[in-house]
Amino acid sequence: MNLRAVYSLAVVLTRSQIRGTQRSKFLARVFGEPRIILPVDIALLFGLGGLGYVLLSTSGQGLLDLLRPIEPELLAGIPSAIMFMAILFGVLYEISQPIQSMNTDLVNWLPLTPMEYVGGSTISESYIYSFVLCLFLGVVLGPALALGMAGVWIAAAFMAVVALFAGASVVEILDATTNRISSSFYKKSGRSGIVFRLIATVVLLVFIQLLFSGYIVGYLLQSVMQAAVSAWFIPVVWPTLAVLGAAQANPVSFILFSSVSVVFAVALFGLAARFRARFWVPVPVSIKLSTRAYQPGQFHLPLIGAAESAMIQKDFRSLIRRREMARFLAIPFVLAISMGISLVPLGTQQTAEAPSFVFIAILFLLPVAIFVGALSMTSIGQEGYAVWNLYAAPIKPSQLLRAKVLFAAILGIPFTVALLSIFALLLNTVGTYYGILLPVGVLVVLEASALGVYFAARFPDFREMVRSRYVSVWGSLLGIGTALGVSLLTVTPVALSISLYGAIIPQLAIVSFGIGLGVFIVALKLANHQIQSLFQNIQT
Amino acid sequence: MEALRVDNVVKSFGGLMAVKGVSFSVERNQILGLLGPNGSGKSTIMKTIVGIVKPDGGSITVQGVNVAADPIGVKRIVGFVPESPRLYEFLSGIEYLDFVATVHGLSPDTKRERITEFLKALDLEGRENELIHGYSQGMKQKLAIIAGLLHRPQILILDEPLNALDPRSARIVKDLIHRLRDDGVPTVFSTHVLEIADAICDRIVIMYDGRVLAEGSAGELRSKAGTTGSSLEEVFLKLTGTSDTREIVEALTR
Repeated sequence: MNLRAVYSLAVVLTRSQIRGTQRSKFLARVFGEPRIILPVDIALLFGLGGLGYVLLSTSGQGLLDLLRPIEPELLAGIPSAIMFMAILFGVLYEISQPIQSMNTDLVNWLPLTPMEYVGGSTISESYIYSFVLCLFLGVVLGPALALGMAGVWIAAAFMAVVALFAGASVVEILDATTNRISSSFYKKSGRSGIVFRLIATVVLLVFIQLLFSGYIVGYLLQSVMQAAVSAWFIPVVWPTLAVLGAAQANPVSFILFSSVSVVFAVALFGLAARFRARFWVPVPVSIKLSTRAYQPGQFHLPLIGAAESAMIQKDFRSLIRRREMARFLAIPFVLAISMGISLVPLGTQQTAEAPSFVFIAILFLLPVAIFVGALSMTSIGQEGYAVWNLYAAPIKPSQLLRAKVLFAAILGIPFTVALLSIFALLLNTVGTYYGILLPVGVLVVLEASALGVYFAARFPDFREMVRSRYVSVWGSLLGIGTALGVSLLTVTPVALSISLYGAIIPQLAIVSFGIGLGVFIVALKLANHQIQSLFQNIQT
Repeated sequence: MEALRVDNVVKSFGGLMAVKGVSFSVERNQILGLLGPNGSGKSTIMKTIVGIVKPDGGSITVQGVNVAADPIGVKRIVGFVPESPRLYEFLSGIEYLDFVATVHGLSPDTKRERITEFLKALDLEGRENELIHGYSQGMKQKLAIIAGLLHRPQILILDEPLNALDPRSARIVKDLIHRLRDDGVPTVFSTHVLEIADAICDRIVIMYDGRVLAEGSAGELRSKAGTTGSSLEEVFLKLTGTSDTREIVEALTR
């Protein structure tokens, strides 16, 4: 193995990953070099550790007594958590890559062996996520020093590094196997393979999103610690058991489990290199969608022209077939599930204590505005570098506007109905609330769609990179802020009516509808003007 | 009869003046070759003709339609193939062509007839249901050429259209350009391959540093450069002042 080549590749891959996610020139200049990670790591490790130690030294004995039984568990939990995070971040990075940047042509025609490639990639991945390691170790360093557990901390740090390396190797294995499996799978399954990938990606994203909720993370950590001892035969818990051995002053247990952990990490690395050599498919696979003879497109939505229908159909295909777009499809599921989880305890309360209309309206309209706003704000930028196809086509700005607004609305309205149904199912409250919230929700969908297209055309980001956001940061903040603002503005008259008079006053309901329609019409005009301006000052 | 008039067009991007007062015209039965080194402004001038880039000054008229006044009208009659075209990679070849044809307002029957015909001619038959993502560069180029021709344009603007094409397809495209020229559909064509320009263009415009350096038939350019009988490559190198390549080659082989 040429170690110099491994090092060079690790540097290049690290640069590629950290630069690929930076938009501004300033950030690229400051954080564009791999060496920036090292001072960040040191600052996290010793800054947090020092701070924790000072705070605990100056606090009373009570806090130390409270921490004493927890600290060994925390230290022992770190290796497993680090391995989990490394795998999670690695998989997320893979998912967020646009289809155009998936080819790794360069490494395929450079004189690198699979072992050297996996070596460079694993070191790069471990180094990039070392800040998570330092964050965790920094947090537990102060208590460890104050409690006289420095030795256990060193054992935890060593095992965490081993776990990080093992996690990075697992990502390599997943990368190589999914590459081969998906290549063979798509080749055989075509269109259904794409749908399967979409569902799998959405499920994974929803799962990951929910995993980050405090309740679930706490539950998992507790379960890992409880399960670790009884599951001693599972390799992923060996680093944790090694740290527990050190904490219990059991050198045999520490030496045994730390040794097998190192062997396990090295074995994973070797396996990753073998998988890379055996399974990697370096060229994009041809996916056949259909075997039928060509029949000109029959997709034609009522009330709009064929060109608009074609654009909407294209955007649907983009949403379903591009894996980097799956996160937008995941938004409604994440929002609906998150809302559902937070509503369950409320639904069990007595009718007298049922949540107020204002509370329900806000809880219902904000996700609607966020989802539809996010979808329409990205509608122009997601065209990417292929946007010239629209510029060169005889499409009027008004046609593009209609297509983009309708696309967001077509997805937004079913989501609105579904979310309201979840509310109705889970909340024990008055039925008339839903009768008024449905039309208000539909109006918010229209407003957010039109406003989103305005911001999409005003602040487009056509760059195709990892985690492309398709709209500038400033644009997305303004867009989401405006969408949330107008949704609250629209519901205010109705909310006032219920709060002040305990019923829906028709005049105030009409005012709400008037505001909604007015905002929609103004937003359409603004968006049309902005698309015209975009077409005249084209970024190619 | 004049099909295209580019009149004193100026375009800058930030501080960079990409096009500095370019003027030329194209007759109806003419193939115009745009030659010039990288960064000479060829692609920018082609994009201004299609209406993709708005010039800072000057005017462009395509088949009597002013680009600034009626950009949509111009896009209806122009067939454009950009340099290294980026296509919608999540669509299959047939879906992409169907999309372009629909946006141009072609009827289902016309779409079926033309798309089938072009796919067959450019050897894409049998691959049309595959995602573009899996296509080779040459296949993507063919698809972009078909997309540019589907609506039977009245003028073709082709930015290095023969890039990555196999010899058979390149020959078909060249013959097609000739045939269209004979039918009154002119072509503005940029290329770095001077033999191609020499072989198929009726007139050549040599651009350099955002300006038109020379204009005329291949023979006229040879006379202007004072290199009668020599290859177009030598004429080009002499006119653009980049003829002394010996030192560079020696440095590269040292």
